[in-house]
Amino acid sequence: MREFVTIIIDGAHVRAAKRTSVLDAAIEYGVCIPHLCHVPTLSDIGACRLCVVEHVQNGRSKVTTSCTLNVEEGMVIRSNTEKIRKLRRNLAELLVAQAPNSRAVQDIAVRCGVKEVRYPFRNSDCTLCGRCVRVCSEMWQVKAIGFVGRGKNRHIDFPFGLRPDSCKHCSSCVMLCPMTITPCDGPMERGQEHLCGHCESQLMIVENTPDACVFCELGKGFNCSRQALGQ
Amino acid sequence: MPRLNNCKDLESLKERLQARRKKIKTTLTTCAGTGCQASRSWAVIELLKKELAKKGLEKTVNLRTTGCNGFCEQGPIMVLDPDNLFYCHIRPEDVPEIVSETLMKGKVINRLLYTDPVSGKKITTEAEIPFYRAQDRQILAMNRKVDPCSIEDYIAAGGYTALAKTIGVTNPETVIGAIKASGLRGRGGGGFPTGRKWAECHEAPGDEKYVICNADEGDPGAYMDRCVLEGNPHLVLEGMMIGAWAVGAGKGYIYVRNEYPLAVKHSRIAVEQARKMGLLGENILGTDFSFDVEISRGGGAFVCGESTALMASLEGKVGEPRAKDVHTVVDGLWHMPTTLNNVETWANVPMIIQNGAAWFSAKGTGGSKGTKILALTGHVKNTGLVEVAMGTPISKIVNDIGGGGANGKAIKAVQTGGPSGGCLPAEKFDLPVDFDALYEAGSMIGSGGMVVMDERTCMVDVAKYFLTFLQDESCGKCLPCRLGIDRMLEIVTDITEGRGKREQIPLLEELAQTVQETSLCGLGKTAPNPVLSTLRYFLPEYERHIDQKCCPAGVCQALITYQVFGEKCNGCGVCLRNCPNKAIQGRKKEPHWIDSKLCTRCGICASECKFDAISVS
Amino acid sequence: MHIRSIESLLKEKKSQPHQLIEVLQDVQETYGYISEEAMTTVSQKLGVPLIDVYRVASFYKAFSLKPRGKNLLTLCQGTACHVRLSKLLLNQALTQLKVSPGEISEDGLFTIEQVNCLGACALGPVVLQNGTYHHHMNPGKLRKLIISIRKAEKEETAHAQTQ
Repeated sequence: MREFVTIIIDGAHVRAAKRTSVLDAAIEYGVCIPHLCHVPTLSDIGACRLCVVEHVQNGRSKVTTSCTLNVEEGMVIRSNTEKIRKLRRNLAELLVAQAPNSRAVQDIAVRCGVKEVRYPFRNSDCTLCGRCVRVCSEMWQVKAIGFVGRGKNRHIDFPFGLRPDSCKHCSSCVMLCPMTITPCDGPMERGQEHLCGHCESQLMIVENTPDACVFCELGKGFNCSRQALGQ
Repeated sequence: MPRLNNCKDLESLKERLQARRKKIKTTLTTCAGTGCQASRSWAVIELLKKELAKKGLEKTVNLRTTGCNGFCEQGPIMVLDPDNLFYCHIRPEDVPEIVSETLMKGKVINRLLYTDPVSGKKITTEAEIPFYRAQDRQILAMNRKVDPCSIEDYIAAGGYTALAKTIGVTNPETVIGAIKASGLRGRGGGGFPTGRKWAECHEAPGDEKYVICNADEGDPGAYMDRCVLEGNPHLVLEGMMIGAWAVGAGKGYIYVRNEYPLAVKHSRIAVEQARKMGLLGENILGTDFSFDVEISRGGGAFVCGESTALMASLEGKVGEPRAKDVHTVVDGLWHMPTTLNNVETWANVPMIIQNGAAWFSAKGTGGSKGTKILALTGHVKNTGLVEVAMGTPISKIVNDIGGGGANGKAIKAVQTGGPSGGCLPAEKFDLPVDFDALYEAGSMIGSGGMVVMDERTCMVDVAKYFLTFLQDESCGKCLPCRLGIDRMLEIVTDITEGRGKREQIPLLEELAQTVQETSLCGLGKTAPNPVLSTLRYFLPEYERHIDQKCCPAGVCQALITYQVFGEKCNGCGVCLRNCPNKAIQGRKKEPHWIDSKLCTRCGICASECKFDAISVS
Repeated sequence: MHIRSIESLLKEKKSQPHQLIEVLQDVQETYGYISEEAMTTVSQKLGVPLIDVYRVASFYKAFSLKPRGKNLLTLCQGTACHVRLSKLLLNQALTQLKVSPGEISEDGLFTIEQVNCLGACALGPVVLQNGTYHHHMNPGKLRKLIISIRKAEKEETAHAQTQ
């Protein structure tokens, strides 16, 4: 017997099953909250921080990630205040400045309203979203890859850099990786990095209805959960 | 070591130990904390033992080796009681004279007395030394009285009586109420009301609860916890026991950072001794309270000072913090209710129970009660550990206790709170040591680090230093901390290397705000503080770096040049020989000069020159 | 050096995954670094997936995945030491020994590491050499320390050779 609670997202009363996250509840209801490291059925770690929302409690609002926040009766959430949009835009700007060579990342940047990138571009081939690590560990329980190192040196690797026998080449990690999808204009070499911004038509829609999910093409770029649900 | 089966046993042991100690009139206290050990105090202590035996004095003179007393720069230190005679900078060759002249004949050796750097006068007793006199030493004073490796010393000094007063005598609610009434707030940096934390843990559902002592003191420039844990581990243990009883915990951990081997050693000895006496284990002092403690070493990660990262480390995992939407007092170590407190917080507990909440709350300000230990370091005359009542203005600490600026230079700023804190300019030195006052000014008390900076310090370089530190220590899990700190460092580095642009300042502020609001844990959330506080109070320095490509303090390597002062140089050639880049030229006995194109500003020549002829411009 | 096998280090800790960090610290202390072989054995005996052992070993600064030089010189880069110009010490050491931090010098005698505070702040700048603290250091004193260590090592080797 599933239990439900009612939470209030952007003024709308949403019914959500207990022990689900605010992000899942919002996505199911049709509220667009951008996300990257979240994958349905895998655990949420709150690493990309794109899904931040304002959680209003006792008259004060706290910025927190909606993927790690579990629903509770009467919870008040604001997902599209000016503050949240600005934070999201800055986060997406950092992300695209770091790893622009991916359609997924470029799409997220557009969706989050990034108009200019004020940092020198780098060309990393990993966003450290951890989707690959979690699918290998949680879905297949193999743990052939993992996060290694700390801080700036954090990266994904096999133990000692050698593919172990336990890896069965299932390619789940590749399928979930946002970096495998090339940008619309083609791959960006070193020195050619730029902000794509091609999906202007999508941007017009999302600017008018920032919080509503419009099944935008951008979502296909990073396997947005709503796309997965819709299919 | 006798086993204590009830409170009466403890009381009678205390009386016996005190009586024994009263018989010996003369006590020689020497410091063997990490600081004094670095000054080779063990050589002095070993020689003292031999010398006392040689003169047949080992029975009539009590030689006590203590932990750190906080005045490390003066070490090795010795205090002779009952006269309270204070000797400092003792070398092994001084020992025979100390024993034969001072101990046996009562003569004072002038050259071993402390010289007050402000007045230039010699001071005979410890109590008169301005550095000590201006403090309010509650916890630190105890370090003087106990050998950390002796539980008997601790009991003789009144130790474990607070424990005896609580377990089996009152109830947990009373103890929690006392801690709440005292106003004690976390001393590790968070400043969370301790009583409230204990209450929440006490009420949390679950049979298996834990208490943890956070001794992962990672703030560079702070060593208060090292001092307390090394010097008086039983004080911390007793605090933990009282807390464990109050919240209902049966197991405790002391998580000590890897870089403090002496603190690890002394904590282990203390736990062993407590177990032997029955103060840890089953049915403590004959009650139904059972509690044991395990010492765990850190792996070398500043982020493990964060409570969820620390708990992950205790569980054998990487020190990655997790979201704290559910507090650790409910869901902590092994997902059980856990009370985690800092070393100094635990150390305050026995005295609050013993002397009462009102005694503690009588000191301090409205929001910050009791005393706080600070690590006063940097460009002051007297550096060391300082304990003051909350509410003491920074100026008093820097001038009365610290003795003012060193080397005749004017003090520019004080950095408080470590990498999570900020820099306060001299105009703000009337601010009190108070959680809320410092927070509003853009800094914080943090764990208690207080680094004094004079005009030789570049504030932009300070921001760069802290960002570099945090980038190194960031666990890297969340985007804003990992990439945000990286980009802030990139911008500040540009500024220190002459590539800064004016529009980078508002970008820095906007980025700082994003990192503050969206980071997963306290490390990221407070990472922008050094940058923001230096921008707030020292913007002109940033602007000079950007507009004029100049570093007024002479620190930023890309913006300075090393020069030889012709008048002072006698052509000895030491600098020329030691320059790794062959950038110095000159003939013997003639003034030398530095080719700034070849010079990498490594600073070796300036440190080698005995004539003060090389300086930075 | 009394060398115990890795198995004996694990004696009372078999199948206890939460002891991973303690075990790795024992390995580090005994061997001076943590080898792949050590990590594989620890993984098997403690019951921790190999990737997690590797992850923990690469996360914490206390662990070195490469062998170190005979003399480990740890330079404190804490705030108090920094304002007393500890950065110059680092420059001096790296230039004199021609290494990067963490590497072994050509003669196998030195490795330079940085630490973010040893807690001896009043005595800064501090250099820790194999457990011995050197205080109030400057580039000149450090240069002389390295030279004296080299000299002592040479004498020890010469003495051993004549035995």
